[in-house]
Amino acid sequence: MPWFIYLALKQLFPSGKRFPFFTVISVFGVALGVMVLIVTTSVMGGFHYGIEQMIVNSQGQVQVKSATQIVDYPAVVRQVEKVPGVVAASPYAYSSVMVQYQGRPVYPFLTGIDPGSIEKVANLRKYMVIGSIDDLDDDSVIVGSALAESLGVTVGDTIEIYSPLIIQKLEHDELFLPRSVHVVGIIEFGHQQLDTSNVYCTLRLAQDLYGLQSNVHGLYVRLQDGLNEDEGAKRINAVLPENIRAYSWEDSWSDFLWVLGLEKSMIFFMLFIIVIVAAFSVTSSLLISVIRKTREIGLLGALGASPRQVAACFCIQGLFIGVLGTAVGLGLGFGALAIRNDVVMGIARATERAEVLQRFYQFSQLPAHTSESDVVLTIVLTIVVSTLAGLLPAWRAARLKPVEALRNE
Amino acid sequence: MNEPALSAHGVRKSYPSGDRRIEVLRGIDLAVEAGTSVSIRGESGSGKSTLLHLLAGLDAPDAGTLHWGGSPDTGPARRADFLGMVFQSFYLIPELDAHANVLMARRIQGGIGPAARARAKDLLARVGLSERGHHLPTQLSGGERQRVAVARALMNSPRLLLADEPTGNLDEGSGDAVIDLLLGLCRETGTALVLVTHNAAYARKTGRQFLLREGQLHEVLDSQPPVTG
Ligand SMILES: Nc1ncnc2c1ncn2[C@@H]1O[C@H](COP(=O)(O)OP(=O)(O)OP(=O)(O)O)[C@@H](O)[C@H]1O
Ligand SMILES: [Mg+2]
Repeated sequence: MPWFIYLALKQLFPSGKRFPFFTVISVFGVALGVMVLIVTTSVMGGFHYGIEQMIVNSQGQVQVKSATQIVDYPAVVRQVEKVPGVVAASPYAYSSVMVQYQGRPVYPFLTGIDPGSIEKVANLRKYMVIGSIDDLDDDSVIVGSALAESLGVTVGDTIEIYSPLIIQKLEHDELFLPRSVHVVGIIEFGHQQLDTSNVYCTLRLAQDLYGLQSNVHGLYVRLQDGLNEDEGAKRINAVLPENIRAYSWEDSWSDFLWVLGLEKSMIFFMLFIIVIVAAFSVTSSLLISVIRKTREIGLLGALGASPRQVAACFCIQGLFIGVLGTAVGLGLGFGALAIRNDVVMGIARATERAEVLQRFYQFSQLPAHTSESDVVLTIVLTIVVSTLAGLLPAWRAARLKPVEALRNE
Repeated sequence: MNEPALSAHGVRKSYPSGDRRIEVLRGIDLAVEAGTSVSIRGESGSGKSTLLHLLAGLDAPDAGTLHWGGSPDTGPARRADFLGMVFQSFYLIPELDAHANVLMARRIQGGIGPAARARAKDLLARVGLSERGHHLPTQLSGGERQRVAVARALMNSPRLLLADEPTGNLDEGSGDAVIDLLLGLCRETGTALVLVTHNAAYARKTGRQFLLREGQLHEVLDSQPPVTG
């Protein structure tokens, strides 16, 4: 082992000393920053991943939409399903409606799905809490859980739907009767916004309510696993006529995803300040050590040490603190993630706020999804910054001339 | 060995002081044969440390020549091989135990092996610290620390040993022990010794005695009463 690595290790962990105070404090500071970064990016990633899953499971990875309506959709479905990489396509009709129950109105989105093919593209079944998709017929609906709760409806109740056609009909002085349907299921995505605003019915019922005849608004498309959504959309677009376009879910939600991404980067760099502060404290400790050891450093020079090796000795101390801090921080971070739900629920229960938590955070469990790139970024940045922290002390030490250092008697 | 271990001719050194220069060394001539010792005394500020640093090649003279073992190469690479140094305040590395401090002189030269470890142990035994190898500097007395520093200076089997007031921080008993050790080891190993000291008794133990005054070395002959500065 080169002497400067040996000495760097010895200065961090002096022989015969049980508790190397400086090292432990420095490592802990860096570890704290890494832990907070890992936990925060993972939990944010968990929210993002949950949203992604929800979108993909309810709408497929790609949506085919027309500016107006898709006429003769079975032909378009056949066309799309022939595209390599496409597993299946399923039509939908979608609009905002008014729903009334015991005189209380709400304005959710009513999505008409094709019970025969929806399961090939989406996985709504996974989110059903009461009832089943199989019970859906042309006189029934499935209601989002929060919406059902606010209306006070449950399976078996009858609600009334007023479609947008009411305006046209009123203009022609026609008599308009709302459509009475009964609730056969409750669906819960675990996302407050979706659960308060979604109602599902059969495609036929939606076509009827929206006056579409046999047209639809679009298709949900499922791709083969591993195929990139944008690539899939591009392939589909190649076979579709100009007025019908395919959009990946990331396209459709791009503004939303951009905001999520921006939020995450902002928080990452705010929290990275913890690591930078820890690095500053490493710098000051190492500087003090250089000044205190001026004469010993001079002696190393007299024994034949080159300024570059002396500098390396201090830089390596920063590097070691960075590596150790990162390792400890990763351990603490993943440990904290492992027990996150117990901690959160413990706090919520202790303060009797479990429901409040669910209502405000839109998720019933604290999700976590650790992305490899976040972990790599955290590790690399932390180790680089810690090594940089050793640079100033190293430069001071390397500048010391043996004669001048030794003259400090 | 016919070449002297150390020879210096016409060495001069001055330092700027305001707009003038202080001439600290004004032409030093000195030759030390292998296995012999010389002592240098002088008032505080007379330039003893300055001279020792120049002889060690740690600083460049304004004028004059320096040879180690007849060669003008006094660069850092050769220094660590050719000479060892001992200072008034030991300069042991506080995080390393005695044995590791002695070994450090070899580590900086490259790798260490079992032979180096054994030699360090042997040297510690020679300076009377065979039981203290695993003690940190803070667990040793001043005299013991200086003995560790002596062992470190001898680690690379130098041909020249430069000691700058090695007893300056020691009580009389430890001081005597360190001086006897230095002289004994140098005689044994054929190492040349330059000893800077304030103590006339220690100076008299060396082969030749010099006094540094007004930038020049004056040899003190034993028959004469010692010249005082
Ligand atoms: N870097 C420097 N710049 C200016 N003056 C210096 C420098 N180094 C030494 N001097 C001066 O040179 C003179 C000799 O100093 P030196 O340390 O060699 O004396 P010394 O004989 O070793 O003294 P002491 O017995 O106190 O150790 C002193 O006057 C000192 O102030
Ligand atoms: Mg001096």
